[in-house]
This record gives sequence, structure tokens and C-alpha cells, in this order.
Amino acid sequence: MTSYSSRGFFNAAYHDSETLEMDRRSGTKPPHTNPYAREEPVRWGGRLGGRDEAAWGATDGGLQDESRRGRDHITTGAGAPPFPHQPYHNRFQADNRYNQRPQARLPSLVSDNMTMRLRGIAMRRMSMFPHASPADVDLTENAIREEMENDEQNLMKELVSMSTLEQTRAIRELTMSFEAKKRIRNKVLAFRSVKKSHEFTWFAELSENTSLFFRRCGYTMRSARQALELWHGIMKEIGGKFGSSVLTYFMFLKWLLLFNIFSFVVNFSFITVPLLVYDPNITSSVSFRGLELLTGAGYFTHTVMYYGAYSNETLKHGVEYNLQLAYFFTIAVYMVLCGIALIFSMASSFKKNFVLVDPASTSAWQLLCSWDFSVTSEKTVTQRKNNLRVQLKESLSEKAQQELLTVPEKLKHFGIHFCSWLVSTALVVGCAASIFFLCQYEGKLFSQWGPGAASLQQEAETLLVPFMVSLMNLVIPLFFSLFNKLEHYSNNRSQIYTLVVRNVFLRMSILGVLCYYWMNEVSLRSPSQCWESMVGQALYRLVIVDFFFQMLGSFFGEFLRNVIGTKLHRRLGPPEFDVARNVLDLIYAQTLAWIGIYFSPLLPSIQILKFFILFYLKKVSLTQNCQPPRRTGRAAQMQTIFIFLLFFPFFVGAISIVGYTSWSLNPSQNCGPFRGLNQAFSVVEIWIEGLHILPGSGWAVWIYKNIIRSEIFYFLITLIILGVTYVFYQLIQGRKELIGLLKQRIINEGKDKSFLLDKIQNLQSSRPKKDTRQSKDGRSSHQPSLGGHSDAVRQALLARQQAEQEEATYSDGVSVPADISTSSALMQAMLARQRAERETEDLYQRVEDPPSSFTALSLAMEARQRAEGEMLQDNSREGDFYENPTTASSAVSQAIQARLRAEEEASASSAMMQVMKARQQAEQEAGMQWTDVQLQNPAVSSSSAVAQAMQARLRAEEELPASSVMMQVMQARQQAEQEAGMEWAHVQPQNPAAAGSSALIQAMLARQQAQNEYDDGY
Amino acid sequence: MGNKQSIFTAQQLDAYQVVKCFCRLSRLFYRYRDLAPQLVPLDYTKQPDVKLPYELIGSMPELKDNPFRQRIAEVFSEDGEGNMSLDDFLDMFSVLSEMAPRDLKAYYAFKIYDFNNDDFICKSDLEKTLNKLTRSELTEDEVKMVCEKVMDEADLDNDGRLSLEDFQHMIVRAPDFLSTFHIRI
Repeated sequence: MTSYSSRGFFNAAYHDSETLEMDRRSGTKPPHTNPYAREEPVRWGGRLGGRDEAAWGATDGGLQDESRRGRDHITTGAGAPPFPHQPYHNRFQADNRYNQRPQARLPSLVSDNMTMRLRGIAMRRMSMFPHASPADVDLTENAIREEMENDEQNLMKELVSMSTLEQTRAIRELTMSFEAKKRIRNKVLAFRSVKKSHEFTWFAELSENTSLFFRRCGYTMRSARQALELWHGIMKEIGGKFGSSVLTYFMFLKWLLLFNIFSFVVNFSFITVPLLVYDPNITSSVSFRGLELLTGAGYFTHTVMYYGAYSNETLKHGVEYNLQLAYFFTIAVYMVLCGIALIFSMASSFKKNFVLVDPASTSAWQLLCSWDFSVTSEKTVTQRKNNLRVQLKESLSEKAQQELLTVPEKLKHFGIHFCSWLVSTALVVGCAASIFFLCQYEGKLFSQWGPGAASLQQEAETLLVPFMVSLMNLVIPLFFSLFNKLEHYSNNRSQIYTLVVRNVFLRMSILGVLCYYWMNEVSLRSPSQCWESMVGQALYRLVIVDFFFQMLGSFFGEFLRNVIGTKLHRRLGPPEFDVARNVLDLIYAQTLAWIGIYFSPLLPSIQILKFFILFYLKKVSLTQNCQPPRRTGRAAQMQTIFIFLLFFPFFVGAISIVGYTSWSLNPSQNCGPFRGLNQAFSVVEIWIEGLHILPGSGWAVWIYKNIIRSEIFYFLITLIILGVTYVFYQLIQGRKELIGLLKQRIINEGKDKSFLLDKIQNLQSSRPKKDTRQSKDGRSSHQPSLGGHSDAVRQALLARQQAEQEEATYSDGVSVPADISTSSALMQAMLARQRAERETEDLYQRVEDPPSSFTALSLAMEARQRAEGEMLQDNSREGDFYENPTTASSAVSQAIQARLRAEEEASASSAMMQVMKARQQAEQEAGMQWTDVQLQNPAVSSSSAVAQAMQARLRAEEELPASSVMMQVMQARQQAEQEAGMEWAHVQPQNPAAAGSSALIQAMLARQQAQNEYDDGY
Repeated sequence: MGNKQSIFTAQQLDAYQVVKCFCRLSRLFYRYRDLAPQLVPLDYTKQPDVKLPYELIGSMPELKDNPFRQRIAEVFSEDGEGNMSLDDFLDMFSVLSEMAPRDLKAYYAFKIYDFNNDDFICKSDLEKTLNKLTRSELTEDEVKMVCEKVMDEADLDNDGRLSLEDFQHMIVRAPDFLSTFHIRI
């Protein structure tokens, strides 16, 4: 696979010449002439025979065939002969060339260009042989390569059968280098062009071109969008300095800002612009005093800011534009779109972040997943390292701590939890009640005002409620975090969640009370006044004051805290950015905007300004005052939770309030688009009734009557949704079970694997051990130690014994083939003796201990004599020996040779050595000649040869500077041998074999005698 | 687009855009070029064989303080020593971008943590990671304990080391990984 990445396909010339469009062109043009049609049946048989005719209709089957053919081609391409005169096949060969290249490197080195699956296989293979030697790797390498090739082919098949979009995504997800991906893509494109070439080509070309065009457009759009991305640089800076958990806040802020921009654009263009076009003279009678910016009252009261200023008329400028309907539908559609967007982002976030979250693996997570690669500032990096170290240490000591908890301690913890919950609930309830009474008080104040313009002081009094609300929102959370510090939590997450839940509870109850007051008191109290505008103003004030309090919050919470932390109490250090609190503030602000959208359609513009300023404010405050968070919480999960919170209590609350207002409450009679109606929703009713007159709109009426106005429909929908939810819940349960089972299975397989690995290792390690033991044995027999002589001798004796036994069986009249074993037995005996003698010789030479060497020598001699005797006996006794003279003689000669060698080695003294050598030479010659003669032409030359040999030996022996005794001995022996030779020579012509044997016996006997004599003399 | 077309051919652009996970191509190209303006030509239509040494790559502000910068460069460079061609460079930042799929990220993160390139994260790799992440300030016992704990938690098949499957399994359960294994360019 490594070969893919390098030369050939990716060199510049190839790349430039064979690019995508060209591929396509070369692939799509040939079929006009379609020269391959007649080849197809030959190549692919009947399966594809009729596909030219069928290609138009059966797209499904055609596609399958196509992909199958693609597969065929891949699998056969490497080995099959190339197609003549087919331009695109040349390219295939170019591709397949890479498959054919020999793979030189080990699979473990083949890293970059494999797909994930290929890699997985290779890994699995390698893990089967963890300590494999290179030889083993060689063995498995082929298998791995084969499998990898198969896998790549499978991958190609899959890719070819995909649609363009899926294919692109799949290619992107391959874990390969860019080069490899490009190669795969070009291959796939090549296949596709082949495939396309068999279909109607102009259409294929057209569709390809259009898809290419759209793709290009898409890329251009996307890159433009990325270039225009808001605050990219700031985000990068924040992420680099504070990590991704703090960045969550800013992402959230940006996201909400986009929501508000969308809602502002929608409201402004569909509600406000038509009104301004129709009646541009909506101006307030009250002069602008400046305080309106805070209160939203006075000058703003009768502007397009609020509900009251909108008209209920139908504009007639060529087209009819019903302002009532526009107001109603714009807000409804906006809310629905918001809901859908929230649901989708929530669902995707859940899917990404909550599917399989396992709180158990904290250490692994901390070590391998928690490092924030986006952090770029050196200070932060060191701080993060410190934090991680502290956390790891904590997690190490945590286990010990948990076990120490006793029952009273647990009770104490429980008590503290209970108390803090009680106190915080009491606080929340108290806040809600106080706000309610404050609102009532304020209402009484309002009712005392005259109908004219309010004084400055009166107007300023309206700020009391929003001020109190924002103050509570600022202060009460501080109490909550104080409780949180007192409480004891087993882990960080539950601590954060408790805090979040309490804060959400607080804000929900405050908003709930306010809404209750607006819905039930304001709306009923003054039907003559424009109550929607009053609610709108109240919301405006809340939004503005909340903005100021958020600024104050970051001033006190971050700037002052920083000053205190760095100047006064150095132990505290600079503060951390509290993501949870800040995000909850944002959620609260956004909820206000959602509720206010009905009462004040242009409230999103204020919200946009607010968020925009807040972004920079928080950014500055963060970079100037804060330090990166010590605990790197699971930011992604927190984000999911925030989106969920934004959706569930807050957005759902807002939409239900807006819904309740428009469905059930009486709109003001004198102002607003819905003046004169019982409910805002009646506008739809009237519109539908109006539709009756128009022809062809029966379906809308039917939908309205049978779906929107029918309780049964909603009942059924609710039932269905409940049922579906239940089914999905059950599915989730089933999946959870399945996941558990699969996990267990993985664990079991891991056990199996380790077990098998152990076995393999045992086997692998036991085999080489045996070998070494054997070789050790062999070596030890060659390495004599002083103590091992007796062993050597014993072995020699044993060997001889064996030989004797074998001979004995042989002599018992076992048939001819046994003589081979006899000779081999003899051989063994000789060899053994030889070894023994060598050892004794060594011993003699080294230790210079004559007696022992003598005994050894004598032992060896004895053994030799006995062996000789046996051999001779054997020779003489066995009649059928001569039936097989060749083997016998060779055996004899071998035996003699062996003995000679043994003798050579055994002779210790120099004289003896020389004598022996000489004799050995002579005997050797004699023996050799004897055998030669016997084999070739026994009768004639043997005697002369023997005589020659004897003479040579005589000469040799004569030359020896031996002692007189020796000389005598030698002479005697010489005589004897001469006699023997003579005899032998005599006898030979008649019966060469028999005579030979007897002569030999005699010679041997003589020699024995001579030796005896020699020994005596010595 | 006008600029880009002079740097790359349309075909090159198309290939880059299909194969890459995102298309901040020109920005990345200029970042690459800024590292060594005298080495990198402005015209890539001829596919010049330019490689920037690790010293330059590692001095990028995005990587400068990253404890794993050398590993990142090694893993993504074709020669395994941190010297990067433009393709390697694009590879690196596309994997580290926001839009890269989880499996791709997990695979390369695994390679980054696999210091000895044996396709497994073994204890020595974990120790190296730990030392890089904690400035070697933990005692040996603590390092050992942490490594054992990690193995305990993440090693599903009990073979004493983390395979890619183990690692992916862990990544799936740690959703933050997607946002933390991310370098903004």
C-alpha cells in the first residue's frame, strides 16, 4: 500500500493531464460509438448480456449491475489481459499497477495510506502475533496484504454504488492522507464515468456538469460565509486563551444574536415596513426627554415599537396587505421557526453529546480527551497543566475518601442538602411573592395617574419593578453559590447541575409571576388603555435594566473581584469566568425577548444591540480580569444542557404565554391590529370566512375547520405523538440493553484473546527450547570434561553393546538386509570407540597421568580387540555374508578405517603414534585395495596389491627409529603378515572370498599377536 | 476566488474541496506561505515539491505552546519527521478543524498519543502523555497509578494496551473531544 503514495499516479504530469473533467470526458465520449457492446457477453456473460436494452428502464437493476461490474473489474483487473482499444481501461491498468507492485515494507510500517478498516485488520493481525519474529511477519504479511486489497476493493465497490453526496462524505471520512483520498476519488470517478458511459450520455454529461456547477457554487458560498463569519478572530483568541468551555458562552451568545437578527429582520420587513409605507406619519405627541431610553414609555409609547401603534387596516396599493393577518402570522411563523431550530439543535446536540456518555471513565477522559488543542497561550498552557495535575491527584485520593464516609456523615450531608434546598426554595418563593406585591403596588400607582403625560418622577417610578427583578436575579444566585460551597458533593457535575437548577427555578418563578400579573391584572384592569403596549413597555424596561445589571455584574463580579483577588487577598487570585451563571443570564434575556415579541415587535432590535455590546463587554472583562477555569468541565455537555434549558422551560413558557394571549385574552379595544376583536385569533376566522367567497380556496377552509379548529385532531395528534414517544423510549431501552451485551462481549473476547495469546506464546516458547536442549546434548557429548571420561567410555561400551546385540540378531539368521544395519552398528561401535579413545587421549595428554591413561588406553584396546574379534567371528561365522560381499567388505573396510582412526588417536606415545600411523597407512592401502580388487576383478591383482601394501608397510615400519624390541616385534609381525599375504595370494585364485577371509583372519591374529608382543615389550 | 485560481488550477481546487473537510483553503495556503515566503511559491499549479521543516511548522502560534506539537507534526507529515508539504499541512488542519468527522479525529488523535508508533497506546505512551500534560511533576507512583487507572477504564479487551477500537470507544463517550481536538486557524 505504501507504493500508492509515491510516484506514478501522482506525479505532476499525470495529475495535470488526467484531472476530473478530463476523466469524465474521456469516459463519456467513447460510448457514442459503443465499441464494447459485442465484448460484453464474452466478458460478463449472460448476466449483463441484455443490459444495453434494459438500461433505460431498470435503473435499479442497472445500477446493481454496474456496481457489480465495477467489482468484477477491480477483482479481475490486476490479472486479466487488458482490453484492446479501450481508452479508459488504460487508466485502470495504471491504477491496478499499484495493486500489482510488490509490497516491500512490513504491514506495521504501512500506515498512512490505509483505510480505517484496512488498518484495523492489520492491527488485528499484528496483535495476534505480538512478539512475532520477522519470519512470522513474513508469513502473515501476504495474508494481510490480500485482505487489505480485498478491503480496498470492497471500499471501492461501496463508494461506486453511493450517490455523489454520500460518496463525498464517505471519502472525507476515510482516514487516509490527502494523496490517498485523491487517488480513491479519481478511481471512483473513473468507474463512474465508465458506468455513465453506458447510459444515455448527453444526459449523464449534463447532470454531471450541473452537479459540478452546483458543487462549485456551494463551495463558493460556504467559503464566503466562512470569510464573513462573525467574530472569528475574537473567538479564536478567547478559545486560545481560555479554552473551549469559556468559549461556549460566546458561541451561545452569538447563536442567540443570530436568532434575534433573524426575528428583527422578519418583524421589521413584514410588520413594520408595510405600516411605515402606508402611514409614515406615526409620531408621538410627547416630546423626547431621554428617560424613554430606559423606560420605553413616553415618547416611545405610540411608536412602532409597541403593539398599540399598529393598524388593523388592509393596505391597498395594487395588492391587498392585511396588517392584522401579517402581524399574527409573522409572529406565529417566527415562533414556530424558533421552536424548530431549537428542537433540531437540541436533538443534534443530544445525539452528539449525550448518547453514550459514561461518567465512569474520568481518568482516561482527563488524560486522553480533555486536553484542549485550541489553547495557544503559554500562560494558559502551564496553568492547564497545573490544573490537570491537581485534578489527577485529587481523583487519585478521591477513592480513599469516599470509602471513609460514615453513616452520621452521610446524614449530615443529607441534612445540609435538605436545608439548602429548603432555604433556596423559600428564597425563590419570597422573591416571587415580593415581586407580585410590588407589581400590584405599581399598578395602584399607575391607576392614580391622570390620562395625560406622566411626570419624570412618575416615569422613573416605573423602573422600580425591573430594578428589583434584576437585583434579585443578581443577588439571589450569589446566595445559591454560597449554599453550594457549604454543601458536599461527590462530584463536580452534580454541584454545577444543582446550582443551575436553582437558578432556573428562580428565574422561572420570577417570570411566571410577572406574566401572571400581566395576563390577569393588566389585561383586565384597563380595557380602555392599550394594555399590550404597557406590557411591552414593562418588557422593554426589563430588557434594558437587565442589560445594565449584567454590566454591573461583570463589573462587580469580575473587575472588583479581580482587584480584590490580586491586590487585597492574594490568596484568592483573579476570578474565573462563571459560564453557567452568564449563560443563564443570556437565557433569561432571550426569554424576555420572546415573550415581548407579541407586545413589542421591534424588541429584538434592542436585544441585538444588547447582545452585541455584551459580547465585547464580556470579552474585555474576560481578558482583563479573569483567569482560565480551573476545572475543565465537560463543556459540550453543558452546552447541550443550556440549549435544552433554553428550549424547555423558557422557550416553551414564552410560546405558551404568547399563545395564551392571542387565543384567550381580549385585545385592547382602541389600539393595535386586533382592536375590535374578541381574541387575536379571531383574525384567522374572519380571514377564512372571507376566503369562502374566493373560488378554489375550499381546501384552506377545510383545513381550518377540520384540523385547526377540531379538538379531535389535536387529541389524535397527541395520542400518536405519545405512542411514538413510547415506542422510541422502548427502542432506547432495547439499545441500552444491546450496548450492555455488546460491551460484555467485547470484554469476553478480550479475555479469549489474551487466553489464546498466552497459549500461542507458550507453544512458541516451548518449541525452541526443545531444539536448544537437543543441541545442548549434542554439544555436551562433544565437550568432554574430566569427569565425563567414564561417561564417554561407557557410551562407547554401550554403543558396542548395541552393535553386538544387533550383530547377535543378525547372526541368529535374520535375512540379508540386516547386514546394512550390521555394518551401521559396527560403524556406530567404531565411532563410539573412537570417541572414547580420543577422549582418553585428551585426558592423557592433558593430565599426564600415565596409569589412568593406560587404563583408558587398555580399555580402548580391549574394546577394539573385542570388536575386531567379533567382526572377524562374524565374518567367519556367517556363510551368507559373502552373498553380499560388497556391503560386507565395505562394512569391513569402514570398520577398519574407523579402527585406524581410533588407533591413530589412541596412540599416546610418539613411537607408538608413528608405528600406528605407518601401519594405518599400510592397512588402509591394503584394505582399500582389497575391497577394490574384490569389487572389480578379484582374481588377478589382489595378491600383488596386498603384497605391495605389505611391502610399503614394511618399509614404513623399517624406517621408524624404533627400539630393538620394537623392531623385533615388527619383524615378527611382518613375517606373519607376509605369510598371511602369501597364503591369501595362494588361496585367492580358487575361492577369493573364502580365502580372503581366512587370510584376513590369520593376518589379524598375527597382528594381534604382534601387538601383544609389542605391548609386552613396551 | 480570483486569487486562488492563480495559486491552484481549478481541478486542484475541486479535488481539495471534495477531499478536504472544509474549504478555508486560501487562508490556510497563506498561513503556510507566511511561514517561509521565500520557500513557498505563489503558484501551485505545477505542484512544486516544497517541504517546510518542522522548526518552522512548530513555531506557528497555533502549535507553539501545544505540548503535542512535535507529535502532531510527525503524524501528519509524510516522512514522519515533521517536515510538511502543503498537502500535509492541509491534512493537518482539516483533521483539526471543526467539521472533521469524529472517526477521523479519533484516528489521528490515537496516532498522536501512540508515541512509539506500534499501533497501540501502551503504558509507556500513557506515561509520556502524562508527563507532557503535567510537566513531569507527578511522582513515579502517581504516574503509575494514573496509567493503571486509565488502562482500567479504557482497555476493554484487557490486553494491557489501548487499541484503536478501545480509543474510539472512549472517544464516543467523551463528546468534548470533538470540541477540544480542534485548532482554530
